[in-house]
Amino acid sequence: MARKTSSVALNERLGPYQKLYLLLVAGFILGPFIPLIIQSFAFRWAWPDLLPGTWWLEQREKSILPLAWDYVISPYSQVWEATLNTIYIGCVVTVICLIICLPAARVLARERFKGKPAFEFFLSMPLIVPEAAIGIALLMIFIHIGLAGSYTGIIIVHLIPTIPYMIRMLTAVYQGLGRDFEEQAMILGASRWQILRLVTLPMLLPGVVAGALFTFLVSTNIFLLTFFMGQGKIVTLPTLLFSKISGGTLDASAAGITLVVTVPGIILLLITERFIKEEAFGKGFGN
Amino acid sequence: MTAVQLKGVRKDFGNFTAISNIDLDIKSGELVALLGPSGCGKTTTLRMIAGLEVPSAGQICFDGEDVSEVAVQKRNVGMVFQRYALFPHMTVEKNVMFGLKVRGIDKADIDKRLTEILDVVQLQDFRHRFPAQLSGGQMQRVAIARTLITNPSVLMMDEPLANLDTKLRGEMRRFIRELQQRLGITTIFVTHDQIEAMELADRVAVIFDGNLAQYDAPDALYKRPNSIEIADFMGATNVFEASISGKTATAVFGALTLQDTVPDGQAQLMLRGEAIDLHLDEITDEPNILQGKITAREFFGANITYSVECGGETIQVIEQSRRMVEIDQPVWLTIPPERIWIIQDNP
Repeated sequence: MARKTSSVALNERLGPYQKLYLLLVAGFILGPFIPLIIQSFAFRWAWPDLLPGTWWLEQREKSILPLAWDYVISPYSQVWEATLNTIYIGCVVTVICLIICLPAARVLARERFKGKPAFEFFLSMPLIVPEAAIGIALLMIFIHIGLAGSYTGIIIVHLIPTIPYMIRMLTAVYQGLGRDFEEQAMILGASRWQILRLVTLPMLLPGVVAGALFTFLVSTNIFLLTFFMGQGKIVTLPTLLFSKISGGTLDASAAGITLVVTVPGIILLLITERFIKEEAFGKGFGN
Repeated sequence: MTAVQLKGVRKDFGNFTAISNIDLDIKSGELVALLGPSGCGKTTTLRMIAGLEVPSAGQICFDGEDVSEVAVQKRNVGMVFQRYALFPHMTVEKNVMFGLKVRGIDKADIDKRLTEILDVVQLQDFRHRFPAQLSGGQMQRVAIARTLITNPSVLMMDEPLANLDTKLRGEMRRFIRELQQRLGITTIFVTHDQIEAMELADRVAVIFDGNLAQYDAPDALYKRPNSIEIADFMGATNVFEASISGKTATAVFGALTLQDTVPDGQAQLMLRGEAIDLHLDEITDEPNILQGKITAREFFGANITYSVECGGETIQVIEQSRRMVEIDQPVWLTIPPERIWIIQDNP
């Protein structure tokens, strides 16, 4: 109800130019999806036609499903395997990343020590150094110690670009959380584990959720490092997509896979959006 | 209940000494204030009693037993933080139950004690609210209830009245005092506000630069400070140089007779503004009469402060505002000998 009234009010409040800008922003975000959706329902779409020459609907007797989707859901596409791999790796990376970053962020937010600014700068290094450089060097090492082509290897390399993001987000939320709460819990007799479970984590929840979401999304989108370490033995959605479109053509099946690749991210975003609003802010912080 | 003793307690943070040496004796059931300017070490002292800091030297004893090394969780103390530190994601009820829940006490027992304690702090109607939906006074009562439900042997409070407005302040002061007396719980609180310390405490420990400067009842501290720094901190305005000989103190404005004999020599003479009587007609039959002229007047509602010039010095006189005396009016001041306090320099 509240959302409806506010959208009406927004429509009246905005000037014509503001509306135009909003439309443009929406266009830039949603625009790239339009050809993908059209392509995935096309039967034949050849240059220079603006729209497919033949739609799947006209050729129904030849294929029951649109070509793209028929391929995507068939076992040959490896889409199902790649999706499971991507989600599995993403989840494990997120959990490990949280375990590493929570204590680190606590120290960075609360303590002062010599060389802290330099240390914080070095934390961001993985974001500055090109992935290819990290990837090639690590591949050599991983082949040597037998981690190449294993889930462990992929998970380890995924931690490299995700830790800097997670640490930054958690440090910010930790800074907002005074020591008082934990000390109070301690005085009331709570053990370290109870404090973490009952006080610290719930209070850090918005930051933890945001950090976890971001880590998961970054992990599910890493191509190059996964490609190097997976050695073709482990397929994830980004590597699968690359093998589809590396030929330079965007055919119907590639369009279908591309759409599938975006689904986990969108679902996750929707869930966390609701979760952060209702759980943490709506209830915990009152009003 | 529990008597608390600090024996030669010292606390260093790296090269910085927060507390150099404090001996403090708090009787069982007493309400004691640790008073001092910010950075004097009073909060560190409180945190050491609570167990949040470990003293670098010395002992902290509860009923004669050394607890300096006992972990916070095992020390069974209570602390109400300045900003209450209520867990924002828990309702009043859950906040209050927290201490019992983490101890693994069974549900029926928790419910019984929860109801009892919520009655004590008069928050029955608010048990399902979140902290953000409470007023400052209610939040403080939740914080107190959350602490008391665990039956702590010592209750500690950090600036208990600082975050409240004037009206609530009086209400909370009476509430804390009454509760403390009813339960007979040894209570220690920290404040930088001398008014807060005087209005609440049985005894006040003044801490300057990590040392205990004076430990006395509020009225003694107010009327008989043992150093100029304390007199200053307790808001004394009339402090003058004087030379003492026998029972007479001679200052710039004249000689005053004292009640007791103090050692001869140079000293500081302190007069409390409200202990001085202001007369419009000449007075002759009382000791310690000073003649002067009003040079300024400040109106504070219930009180008026007059600045009276006597022989080149200005003396502040505080009077209840039953009358208004005009500026430039010649006046006679009388000072009861027992209300003159001499601060001897002890080098």
